[in-house]
Amino acid sequence: MLDNLALGYATATTPSNLFYCFVGTFLGTFIGVLPGLGPLAAVAMLLPVSFYLPPETALVMLAGVYYGAEYGGSIASILLNIPGTPSSSITCIDGYPMARQGRAGVALLMTALASFFGGVFGILVIAGLAPALAEFALLLQPADYFAVMLLGLVAASVVSNSGTLRGVMMVCLGVLLGSIGVDINSGETRFTGGVQDLRDGIGLVVVAMGLFGVSEAMMSARGATPSYATEKVSWSRFLPETGEWLRSLAPALRGSLVGSFFGTLPGTGQTVASSIGYALEKRVSRNRDQFGKGAIEGVVVPESANNAAAQTAFIPTLTLGIPGSTTMALMIGALMIHGVTPGPRLISEHPALFWGLIVSFLFGNLFLLVLNIPLIGIWVKLLQIPHYFLYPAVVVLISIGVYSIDHSLFDVWTMLGFGLLGYILRLYRFEPAPLLIGFILGPMMEEYLRRAMLLSRGDPLVFFERPGSAILIGISAVLLVLTALPRRRRKVQANEEVVESR
Amino acid sequence: MPAASRLTIAILAAGVALAAPAAAEAGYPERPVRILVSFPPGGSSDLVARLLAEELSSNLGQQFVVENKPGAAGTVAATELKNADNDGYTLMLSNLTPFSVAPTRFPDTPYDPVADFSHIAYLGAVHLGMFASPELGTADMASFVEKAKAEPGTIDYGSSGVGSWGHVFAVAFENTADVELSHIPYKGSGPMRLDFRADVIPVMFDAVPQNLPNVEEGNAIPLAVSSPERLDILPDTPTFTELGYDIVAENWLGISGPAGIDAEIVDTLQGALAKALKSDDIAKQFDTWGIVRSDMSSEEFTDYVAASAKTWEPLVKQASK
Repeated sequence: MLDNLALGYATATTPSNLFYCFVGTFLGTFIGVLPGLGPLAAVAMLLPVSFYLPPETALVMLAGVYYGAEYGGSIASILLNIPGTPSSSITCIDGYPMARQGRAGVALLMTALASFFGGVFGILVIAGLAPALAEFALLLQPADYFAVMLLGLVAASVVSNSGTLRGVMMVCLGVLLGSIGVDINSGETRFTGGVQDLRDGIGLVVVAMGLFGVSEAMMSARGATPSYATEKVSWSRFLPETGEWLRSLAPALRGSLVGSFFGTLPGTGQTVASSIGYALEKRVSRNRDQFGKGAIEGVVVPESANNAAAQTAFIPTLTLGIPGSTTMALMIGALMIHGVTPGPRLISEHPALFWGLIVSFLFGNLFLLVLNIPLIGIWVKLLQIPHYFLYPAVVVLISIGVYSIDHSLFDVWTMLGFGLLGYILRLYRFEPAPLLIGFILGPMMEEYLRRAMLLSRGDPLVFFERPGSAILIGISAVLLVLTALPRRRRKVQANEEVVESR
Repeated sequence: MPAASRLTIAILAAGVALAAPAAAEAGYPERPVRILVSFPPGGSSDLVARLLAEELSSNLGQQFVVENKPGAAGTVAATELKNADNDGYTLMLSNLTPFSVAPTRFPDTPYDPVADFSHIAYLGAVHLGMFASPELGTADMASFVEKAKAEPGTIDYGSSGVGSWGHVFAVAFENTADVELSHIPYKGSGPMRLDFRADVIPVMFDAVPQNLPNVEEGNAIPLAVSSPERLDILPDTPTFTELGYDIVAENWLGISGPAGIDAEIVDTLQGALAKALKSDDIAKQFDTWGIVRSDMSSEEFTDYVAASAKTWEPLVKQASK
């Protein structure tokens, strides 16, 4: 392991690799901050540039763009309640209330630190266990993936602050919306009403930006978003209270563990990781009453989890050559254009590339920290822009972002429609985060469910015969029952407070 | 939402959608040219378009811009191409699915794959392979067919989706070889390859190039390839035709435009593309991606597209029964 890291260190610290790592994280953060433009857009924009670079440098830069944008996405989540990436929709739950309480600086600082912590944790896991992790992904069967998705969905309903029932309803609505489009088992279209543009379903970014971004703008127009206190931005306002430092350590560790584990599962890693991490924390934390009202753990856990997952997600991509997401497919594309085919032999045939990339993650995370702490002051100042200037600008940016994905005007209108839906849901105290997660995980859950059933020739026992899936289904059931049981302390009162503060 | 910002969005979006106004055709190209790609960014076909766009940009002195318009099996991009001005400033990376498969599979496809387009240049083709897991214990096609006949309906195979070329081809194979397999559809090749490696499915029909690493590692046995002749990248693997199953499948790639593009522009593009394909960089890159090149004039390419649609029609009908 030390030899490998030494080789990686030598590759990662060449001046040009360091430079491009910095450029990547820098540009990634800035693109990620813009609402509607996430890691996918950021990587796609810079992909052509990478053609001119040697493969190591290209990958180091694109990886920097990727996790830089992940980080940038959480900035918009905290400041504007607009998740830059689906996985940071969880960060909105506590990050945004913190910003509303005038603690945006604290939330951003803790996000930077938790991301760094999670990132470094993920890197150590990769460095220690890369080959074993690749094998691990191969042990899982469709039934197990089904159980992971189920747990993710249950976790998403539990995340809700307006009651489990409302959470479950939102998840189910998300699952239903996700089932629009071609059914993969029959090739027939479902719920499209004959509209051609719906044949491939509704885009994820379209739903996310509508539900969060546009509805937030509408809420602000309604006057529900009060102007922020224009206090002087000073360093002391960024620092958490002494107790909060200690309170954050264990959650950061738990988040990183959950994140590192789920990141290795192709396809779902980050969103599942941050929602399960949050749900778990909400059960074990001593401060669970504050969740949803600006609990610092509510920012630390999802951020450490999704950054740990962002790192470990490279394992299946590079060692199996199988992209877990479209963004990862772009990374593979960047390698292919240089004649490097990701696959089982990548680590042995291109050790400098693989370990150089891993070590560059470390520098990249460090750059993010160094880059972002001084910028916190500037981000917080953004909030001082009057909302009648800020939100129209945000809506324009989102619309451009959504349009840029598939160059489809239909998407822009759909997004505005989801804005209206999100607005109505909020008026009736339903939260958008569980809906979004249901929308992402629901179709995947269905896919694995039906595949497992096809393979077992229709025998549902397959879900209970495999230990992995049996255990996960068990955990889901317990989690749901525990949460559904009435909680002893001031539940009703807590809910009312949440509604007021949102 | 305030009406003013809705208007702003519409104007902005429209500004992005419409390219510059039409110009005189004196020295084509006088302004940037769009190349529509019916896949999301990152796949090998997308990379082909990007590579060629760059080469064309430097050869013809104008930017060639790749625009990804994925969706509805490529028919979104093809429909837009059909409706675009035929001034040579909108082109598409044409390929098998929207032009040879979709018109049969989706009867409401709003275009004719030949009459509504100018097919400018053929680029090359990727072929399909039938891969078996070593766990299945069938080292060649003969033993596979024997096993499949002995246990009808029990061997699962993966394809990258219902109606995908892998599925269509697999059904054609089942009929030709008189065997019965069970279809497990996937959303694209990536997840299928993962399950193949994890021994969830013992057989898959997938494009050859991305499976070479697994073949080299001994994790996948190529039983046969769908090309007319053996492939340079898998010289020891027989073709289906060689084995007595008369089926051939090529996922072809080309550059096409809307019908009625000026002959001079077609010649300019055809010439520039032929030159690009002969450059060492591109030739080498195509070889590593397993794209088999071949020289075709615009007329030959048009005939090829027509023939391809005819070949696939009965196969697609069979598979959608």
